[in-house]
Amino acid sequence: MGPSILDVLTEYWPLFLKGALGTLKYAAIAVAGGTLLGTLVALMRLSGNRILSTIATVYADVLRGTPLLVQMYIAYFFLPLVIPALNNVEKEVTVLIALALNSGAYVSEIIRGGINSVDAGQNEAARSLGLSATHTMTKIILPQALKNILPSLANEYISMIKETSMAGTFMLYELMYTRTILANKYLSWQPLFIIAGIYLIMTLVLTNLVKLLEKRFSVSD
Amino acid sequence: MTDKRNALIRTVDLKKNFNDLEVLKGISETVYQGEVVCIIGPSGGGKSTFLRCLNMLEEPTSGEVYFDDEKLDPKSTDIDRHRQKIGMVFQQFNVFPHLTVLQNITLAPTLEKKIPEEEAKQTAMKLLKQVGLEDKANEYPRKLSGGQKQRLAIVRAMAMEPEVMLFDEPTSALDPEMVKGVLEVIKDLAESGMTCVIVTHEMGFAKEVADRIIFIDEGVVAEEGNPEELFNHPKNPRTAEFLSQVL
Repeated sequence: MGPSILDVLTEYWPLFLKGALGTLKYAAIAVAGGTLLGTLVALMRLSGNRILSTIATVYADVLRGTPLLVQMYIAYFFLPLVIPALNNVEKEVTVLIALALNSGAYVSEIIRGGINSVDAGQNEAARSLGLSATHTMTKIILPQALKNILPSLANEYISMIKETSMAGTFMLYELMYTRTILANKYLSWQPLFIIAGIYLIMTLVLTNLVKLLEKRFSVSD
Repeated sequence: MTDKRNALIRTVDLKKNFNDLEVLKGISETVYQGEVVCIIGPSGGGKSTFLRCLNMLEEPTSGEVYFDDEKLDPKSTDIDRHRQKIGMVFQQFNVFPHLTVLQNITLAPTLEKKIPEEEAKQTAMKLLKQVGLEDKANEYPRKLSGGQKQRLAIVRAMAMEPEVMLFDEPTSALDPEMVKGVLEVIKDLAESGMTCVIVTHEMGFAKEVADRIIFIDEGVVAEEGNPEELFNHPKNPRTAEFLSQVL
C-alpha cells in the first residue's frame, strides 16, 4: 500500500496548496470569463438582430456539442498558428481561452432561459415609464432573471471548478497536476483522495455561498 | 372642424395587423389636454391595441401617432423621452417584484430624469399617502393585495409627472371588492385635470368620469360621443347591441 494519505499530505502539502491555488485561479477565470461571455451571447441571441443571433446560436451549439478536452487541444495547438501573438504568452492562456469559451456557451443558455422567464409585462412597464432599453435590462429584467437562474448557475460554476482538472493534461499547475508529480514518486492512490477532498471542499463552499445568496435574493418573496 | 383645444395625442389612420389578423383598421382620433376619454367595446375589438399604440408599446403597421405634435417613432431613442410623459397602467399591474414599494416609484425618476434620491423619495411618499399606501413604503409588492398593487402602479406612473395617463383595463384583474378603491384613485386623478385615456369594462365608471366615450368594435371607431348621448341614445346598432349586453 505504501505510506498513508495523512503521511503524504504532511510531507507534500505545499504541492497540494500550490495545485489548489492553481485550480482556484483557473476556476475564477472560467467563471468570470464564462459569465461575461455568456451574458453577452445571451443578449446577442435575444437582440432581434438576425446576424448577431445566428452567431450566438452557432457558438452555443458548437461549444456545447463538442468535448471540452477537444476544444482545449484545438486551442492549445491551433490557436497559436492563427493568432501568432499567442506564441508570446504563457501556454496556459490558450487553455484558459478554451475554458472560458466553453463555460460561456453553457452560461449563455442559462441566462437566456432566465431572461425569457421574466414576465413580458415587466419589460412593458419599464419601457412605458420611459426607461431606456439598457436600464430596463440592467435594473428590471436581469435582476429578476438572476434570481430565477441562481441554482442552475451555481451548478454550472461547480462543473467549471471540476472541469479545470483537464488543464493538468497540458502541464498547467492545478490540482490534477500534483498527481502527475507524485506518481513519479510511486504514490499512485494517496494523492487522488487528497485531491478529491480538496475539490469537494471547494464545491461545498460554493454551494453554501450560493445558498446564502439565494436567501438574500428571497427578501422580496 | 376646427378645435381650439390643445391636441395632446393624435392618431392618423392607425392600422395594426398581427400576422394576417387586422386588429386596427384605420383609427384617426384626437385626445385633448385635460380630457378624460373612456374606450369601451367588445373583447378582441382592438381597444387595448389602440391604447398600446399610443405609447408605441405596439408598433403600428401603418399610420401615425403624434404626441405634443411630435411624431412617435418606436425605433428612435426619443421614444423614451416621450414615454416619460405618457404614463401607463396595465391590467396585470406589472409592479416590479424585486423592488420595494418606494423603489418601484423612485426608480424611473432617479434614473431617467436625474432627480436626486431624497427628492424622489419625498415625492414618492407624498404620492403613496394620497393612495393610502404610505405604511407599505418599505414592503415588497408580494405583500400587497391586487388593489394595492394597482394603486402602486398608478403612483409609479404619476411620479414621472406625465402629461397623460393611459389605463388598460385597470380593474379587470381585481377582486370585486378591490375595484372601487382603484376607480376612486383614477377618478381623483381625472378630476384633478389629468388627461386620461381609459380602456374599461366598467360602464358606470365610464359614464361618471368620461368627457367622451369611444366605442371601438372590429378595429374601427363605431361610435363616439359624450356619455349621456352614447349610453342613452346610441346611434349605431352595434353600440346598442353591445350596451344591451353589458348594462
